Amino acid sequence: MDWDQLELNPRVITAVKRGDCRRFFLVNSSSTVQPLFDISEPEVRQELRDCSVLGARAALVSAALQLLRGECPSLEPSHRLSLGCPVLDSLLRGGVPLTGITEIAGESGAGKTQLCMQLCLSVQYPREHGGLGSGAVYICTESAFPSKRLQQLISLQARLRPELPPNLVTSIQFSNNIYIEHAADLEALQVCVSRRVPIMLLRGMVRLVVVDSVAALFRCEFEAKEARERARHLLAFAQSLHRLSQSFSTPVICVNQVTDVVGDSDSARCNFGLVDRRVLPALGITWANQVLVRLMMSPLSGWDAVRAEGSSLVSRRLEVVFAPHLPQAYCICSVGKEGVRGIAVPTQ
Amino acid sequence: VGSRERGAGMQRDVSSLALAPGVKVKLIGAGFLSAGDLGELRPLELSREAGITQQEALEALEALRAARGEAEPGRGGRLTALELLQRERALGAVVTFCSALDRALGGGLPLGKTTEICGAPGVGKTQLCVQLAVDVQIPPCFGGLGGQAVYVDTEGSFLVQRAVDLAEAAVQHCGAVAGDAEQQEAMKEFTVETILSQLFLFRCHDYVELLAQTYLLPDFLSQHPKVRLVVIDSIAFPFRSNFEDLSLRTRLLNGLAQQLIQLATQHGVAVALTNQMTTKLGKSQSMLVPALGESWGHAATQRLLLHWEGPSRFASLYKSPSQREATVPFQITAQGFRDVPPADLQLPSADPSAAPSGDPPTSRKRPRADEGEL
Repeated sequence: MDWDQLELNPRVITAVKRGDCRRFFLVNSSSTVQPLFDISEPEVRQELRDCSVLGARAALVSAALQLLRGECPSLEPSHRLSLGCPVLDSLLRGGVPLTGITEIAGESGAGKTQLCMQLCLSVQYPREHGGLGSGAVYICTESAFPSKRLQQLISLQARLRPELPPNLVTSIQFSNNIYIEHAADLEALQVCVSRRVPIMLLRGMVRLVVVDSVAALFRCEFEAKEARERARHLLAFAQSLHRLSQSFSTPVICVNQVTDVVGDSDSARCNFGLVDRRVLPALGITWANQVLVRLMMSPLSGWDAVRAEGSSLVSRRLEVVFAPHLPQAYCICSVGKEGVRGIAVPTQ
Repeated sequence: VGSRERGAGMQRDVSSLALAPGVKVKLIGAGFLSAGDLGELRPLELSREAGITQQEALEALEALRAARGEAEPGRGGRLTALELLQRERALGAVVTFCSALDRALGGGLPLGKTTEICGAPGVGKTQLCVQLAVDVQIPPCFGGLGGQAVYVDTEGSFLVQRAVDLAEAAVQHCGAVAGDAEQQEAMKEFTVETILSQLFLFRCHDYVELLAQTYLLPDFLSQHPKVRLVVIDSIAFPFRSNFEDLSLRTRLLNGLAQQLIQLATQHGVAVALTNQMTTKLGKSQSMLVPALGESWGHAATQRLLLHWEGPSRFASLYKSPSQREATVPFQITAQGFRDVPPADLQLPSADPSAAPSGDPPTSRKRPRADEGEL
């Protein structure tokens, strides 16, 4: 930003070069600014305007129609990251949005990690096949990364994606483009997302960030009475993820654990319209406010379990809890050797 | 009305402004005869053009602004309560497509006022905002406002795919009820494309950008006089993270609220702000309350709380100068924000303590959905 181009009082220009003046003018009241720069009230107002013009330049204006036509790729890329299965993609109306946090919650063994690994492979395909033509960074906080399982998924890609040209599938060096990061505590996690991941994104090595899981560290490092402190850290962490996602239009996938529903009358809990559930996503409303798309994976129950009987595969339910562009819906999916596949979207 | 009054102010002679005679002579000498000629000039430009000092230029522009203020009653002028009432009625409201909520709001989201929409994630805040941004554009012959919308997105939750859904449904709905020739004619202009081209989207990534944008909104509205709705979705998101200094936050939020109220009254637009919910830790029990603290509760003219009751969604009007408090059901369908069909209606449980969650923060306020029907 070149302050000399602004029509400002020279005194002010000198003063603002010392610091971030845009913020300074917008944040301070005119009565604070006035004596500081020794300028008149209308001058303050004029400078406030100029600073606003500068500050708002980043806040692009466009008609929604231009978005639809893809004329402002920086605002909302209409492209979505495919999950590698047409049924799952149709549940998400094309796939995972490129900006914002997408959460996958579920009990242990529900298949969250399987789905994340599948995304790490799918992101490596070129755009016309639903990918982003780049790698993925996988941040593990809970247990070691299941590399053996990843190798199995890679070897069976052709079986999962029969619609793709076979030479394309074999030509991609999948395992070379997945970067594994381990974060054993919150500090390491913060360093990882604020230093190492931005470098990878900047170099174009990756276009997908997976955090598996957010819940683990935030749940174990804070006691119940430290709720406020935990909320502060959670917000700061979410903020860094948002910034990464926005600056690089890179999807961020966060795995979340679930928490048991105890009693019905907990007025501090939001059930998202899901009734009669044993479990709900963990980390409370502070985290939920930061999530754009919340998905939940769970074992089948009731009628769905009966329907899926006879199939030798492990069956799960993938459910949209909320998303600005999706209805609450679910589909049954099977977790097989080659990956996660949607079976059918039941009619609601 | 505003443009005519502003026009009158523009025609005022420069010689009649409260200025030093020397400055007046220089201004007139440089060809600035009426207030309109000074227009939107900046002090530096004016000082160059008219050969006066920057200080004099500033004073001239100030005097002009003051003179303009006089010409526009309502800014500082007097109005009787009757005139106010008539003005308010003439302004109208933006319908929500949920008739129960429209009734509770007295016809829809009122123009000239600010309305805060609070709710847990996924309950339908963004849906209501996008719905309003589409509905504000319904042509006048269908009972709409034929306006345009400004949408300030701070969360990144405006997905154009969803706006297309709602616009398609609105076009289809109006097309189905179109009867006379005027309505048929209006339908030619009321298409998904025009709806989206009149929905101006601003993306703000942090609170400084949001503050900057708010400073510029009055100018934008002057350039786009057809805008009837300003949405900020959400106000909470940029103000909730990385804010160590809470008193600064309160001050900024109060200033923002003031600016938005001014925007609403001066430009006759409806302002909708969304807010997140947060957990308030109580001694024995914690509960969900709107975020941003107690003082923010006074910011908006009306407060609408969206919440879950079991599997159903409800909207509660909490704070309103003109409407009584009410709780009404709504649903989000593929087409958008809609009424719950009477067959599916489950009235909220009368005993607030039995409500599972998302319960309104103050339990003494019981749902009153049925009272209006008597």
